[in-house]
Amino acid sequence: MKKISIGLLSVFMLSPALAIDKAQLLRQVDRNLNPESFEAYRKLINIEPNGREKEFVLFTVKKGKDRIAALFISPASEKGRSTLRLDENMWLYIPNVGKPIRITSLQSVVGGIFNNADILRLDYAEEYDVLEVKDLGDEYLLHLKAKTKTVAYDQLKMWADKEKRLPKKIECLTEASMLIKTIHFSQIKDFGGGIVRPSVIETDSPLHQGYKSVMIFAGLKQREFKDEVFTLSFLPHLESLR
Amino acid sequence: MRWIIPCLLLFYLTATGFAAQQEYTFDLAEVEKKPFHFGGYLEFRPVLFGLDRDSRLYKLKFYDFEVGQSTPEYNFNALLDFSYKKGMVFAKMRTSTDIKKSYSGWSHDTNLFEALFSLQPTLSFHLDVGKRRMRWGKGYAWNPAAFLDRPKNPNDPELALEGLVVLSVDYIKSFPGKLKAITLTPVLLPVYDHVNSDFGGLKTLNFGGKIYLLVYDTDIDFMFLAGKGVPDRFGMDFSRNLATYFELHGELAYTPHYSKKVFGRDGSSQQKTYASTSYLLGMRFLTRTNLTLILEYFRNGHGYTSSEMEDFYFLVDRAYQFSLLTGDDSQLSGLAGAESQAYRTFAPMQNYLYLRASQKEPWNILYFVPSFFGIFNLTDSSFSLTPELLYNPITNLELRARVTLLVGRSESEFGERQNDFRLEFRGRYYF
Repeated sequence: MKKISIGLLSVFMLSPALAIDKAQLLRQVDRNLNPESFEAYRKLINIEPNGREKEFVLFTVKKGKDRIAALFISPASEKGRSTLRLDENMWLYIPNVGKPIRITSLQSVVGGIFNNADILRLDYAEEYDVLEVKDLGDEYLLHLKAKTKTVAYDQLKMWADKEKRLPKKIECLTEASMLIKTIHFSQIKDFGGGIVRPSVIETDSPLHQGYKSVMIFAGLKQREFKDEVFTLSFLPHLESLR
Repeated sequence: MRWIIPCLLLFYLTATGFAAQQEYTFDLAEVEKKPFHFGGYLEFRPVLFGLDRDSRLYKLKFYDFEVGQSTPEYNFNALLDFSYKKGMVFAKMRTSTDIKKSYSGWSHDTNLFEALFSLQPTLSFHLDVGKRRMRWGKGYAWNPAAFLDRPKNPNDPELALEGLVVLSVDYIKSFPGKLKAITLTPVLLPVYDHVNSDFGGLKTLNFGGKIYLLVYDTDIDFMFLAGKGVPDRFGMDFSRNLATYFELHGELAYTPHYSKKVFGRDGSSQQKTYASTSYLLGMRFLTRTNLTLILEYFRNGHGYTSSEMEDFYFLVDRAYQFSLLTGDDSQLSGLAGAESQAYRTFAPMQNYLYLRASQKEPWNILYFVPSFFGIFNLTDSSFSLTPELLYNPITNLELRARVTLLVGRSESEFGERQNDFRLEFRGRYYF
């Protein structure tokens, strides 16, 4: 009886600690992926089953929990396009159209498997609650649930390296647990300034058999920005930050 | 048995080849920033017009040409962008050169679309002087609140257009809380002999402005334009995402003393002045299958009524008959001039509906977007329908094919246009 009581007491005492650890674990993953405010260059490659590739290069700036913007540097047909996300609001600025238009997280400004939510991703902890963490030996399996209906993927399954606290693979699922896409993290690189993270993200989807999209990071570094950078009026001027 | 070993080896190599991580590289030297930039596109756009020889606008345009049932047109366009950025200074120039072969022969034209000098001393403050587009309004096909822009073509709303010479300032301020951002944009618009001369009364300095607010996750603009050379105008617009797949937008424009030229059946014309209210309400909807729907209703307060349009068509008929009987086409050439331009513009009447459906990358064909749009005149029940195919087969090359069918009874807007159909191809290469 005494053993049972001690056991129950341990469970009650540990439960809150474990709950805090779950959220803390996700925040650690977020911070290890990038500083809260940063600039980075990203190359996106869409690869088709026949081997045909199309590349896009984006300059990205992020501030705090809910502000991120990206400017297309190449190819020439996309140059000058820029996208902005403020919390759940997203806009696309096309130089010829000239005024920012509202877009949604499920659309894709580049085609292929990456959608706007992937390109303008906020911290995972901002959009998801950790429902469960499984210890798989040298990695954790985190089961994440979207905080609101406006998040692009209702559920995520994240396999994270236990030691490095970095994601290795993420499965994106619908509310009905249908797999939409799988994201693979690889090629861990030291970007300087204490940022060591996967430099390549590959995505495939059972909905697009044989197709693959790749995102390669370069020049990732911490940088602070004024709030005014993340406004519609500044979108045409993003180039001035480079 | 000897074939088993090579087969196993091949299987092993194939399996490990698939499993191996491909090494991707991205060198920052690829994105080195240079102060000068030169870019743009080259375009070839052949068009076949299927003509409606009984329509009034056919008679008005081709009264002195014999062009048959259809006429081809070959358009070549070069849009060139030059820009320079150094420190707080930014300069930009955009030119458009058109070469056209049509029923009337070869013609060419070069226009300076934009020539802008900009000072950006801080992230919050920009001063722009020169020719630029202001691009006010939230509508896709029409923008009644775009007081400082030339009217868009709803058949091609994303087409580059010529700007206006202005002096403008942008002051941006962000805030925490429900009101996230404000931008103030005062504008000065001169109208002189060679500066914006087609935009208002000559030798006048006009002023306008816009206040942009991002409040409660809604974009809201309030704008105005006033001065001796232009009728005063006031407007507002908004846009908001109601869900990740649903956006709502609208525009309102009010002109207290709008003046337009109206032709009577007796051939006389008068300036009709009245308070004009235009508005637009629209939505974008994204389905689970990646089909984007854009629906807009446009109430054009500047537009003509059915009877005013019918009076104009009557005049064209009478002038055409007179020309046939007497050989004197002065009445027709008078009606075809600039004074009747408002009868022949993109939205000459009062009630319109725009519907566009575009399916992104169906059947897993990347960079392929088939779409379909219709422009409906709700007053006279005439319409145009345009199926379209857009494809980027290789980087920087965009191919577009479309056919436009114009449908309407006699004395309706689309029934009286000069074409029954328009078949168009566009190849555009960006550099």
